Amino acid sequence: MKKSAAAKRGPQPRSSKAGVERGQGGRIHPVVIYPFRQPGDNTDLEELYRLVARLDGERGKYARPITVLDRKTHYANADNRRFLEFRKDTVARHSDILDAWCVDTCQMWYTGLGQAFERGGPEDVYWLIPGDFNYGAAVGREVLGRLHDLPEICLELQQDVCIGEIATDHNNSKQLIDTYGTFALLYNWFPAEAQEIRQYTERPRSEFFAVRHGFLEDALRLRWFAYEQTVVMLLQAVFGNKPISRFFVGNISDLPEGRESLASAMQQVERTERVLKTLWRERQPHRTGWTERYRDLEEKSEQVRRTALVILENLLG
Amino acid sequence: MNLNRNRYGAPQTLRSMNFICNAPQAQSVCLVGDFNVWNPTRHPLRQGPDGAWSINVDLKHGHHRYAFLVDGVLTLDPRAQGITRNDKGERVSLVPVS
Repeated sequence: MKKSAAAKRGPQPRSSKAGVERGQGGRIHPVVIYPFRQPGDNTDLEELYRLVARLDGERGKYARPITVLDRKTHYANADNRRFLEFRKDTVARHSDILDAWCVDTCQMWYTGLGQAFERGGPEDVYWLIPGDFNYGAAVGREVLGRLHDLPEICLELQQDVCIGEIATDHNNSKQLIDTYGTFALLYNWFPAEAQEIRQYTERPRSEFFAVRHGFLEDALRLRWFAYEQTVVMLLQAVFGNKPISRFFVGNISDLPEGRESLASAMQQVERTERVLKTLWRERQPHRTGWTERYRDLEEKSEQVRRTALVILENLLG
Repeated sequence: MNLNRNRYGAPQTLRSMNFICNAPQAQSVCLVGDFNVWNPTRHPLRQGPDGAWSINVDLKHGHHRYAFLVDGVLTLDPRAQGITRNDKGERVSLVPVS
């Protein structure tokens, strides 16, 4: 389809003219997570990097963007001329590429946010931008035009975390995982905190978020889990009574390459349970009788997980 | 809380924003937010023939926290784009103004 001139220009950060001038406040550090699997065509990535190019052009407001690229992705595409050209001509031109060996996406976050943190200052905000979404579609461009609200909300309203919420239909696999897996497990292990989190968002595993420097510093120094890190960050924010905001960024669907199979959905539920168990245990070191309470919660957690897996099997299998 | 909003926004940029609260049984509805210092007398809504209450307010560029006071009860806007908390720790709505 022929694109209109407006579509070619892509999403414009709304506040560009009224942006944060350096010296007046913190800067925003965009951290792009390059897709683990190189997509079949570059439409979505081209749209994303049009935004990154504009951010890179506003140095007063934004720090030099960082792109985290897994070495496995690089080597898997070592003979892919389109990938190599895109990397050199677009990604490297508009961002600093951070090549890293990562076990999972959350480690890519850790690497990228950690690098950005070391470049940042106390007033700064860090903005995570996942690369594997359909930004090239009309709804994706709309989302790209709204994502900048997340770090701006952190700056303007002094929020420690701002979560971007994506609307999906009820049968979307991510929605199903969160409804029957994530929240059910959260209510088991951290019932009070789960209620607090749900007052803000239905998507506690959202990959769209922005965090303030001080909170990121705390989060980086705590145990960093290799998965479901957004859930952990939200729990840490609730534990610490940190200001949280949620902002609707639009309707979007994952790229086909990233859609969950039943096996992937089951794995995500199991990972969430593992993270919550570990986090719960870490918070009990000085409490007497915690092991008995742990066994009780673990038994209930197993029931919750099994129920979630049956439901997911019925709906996704 | 010391808000930095004005440092980042463009104070000269005003945009008319329409707020609608569907509360047909209510006796009074007011709009409160950072922009009117949470003063319930500043922006009372008017009830239309369909029972919904509405008001147009000129807001500066940036992100604003707000809520409806429905018969004196702080109420979130279900149509809002975001949720946050006010200085009292109450959950309130969030509106972006571009």
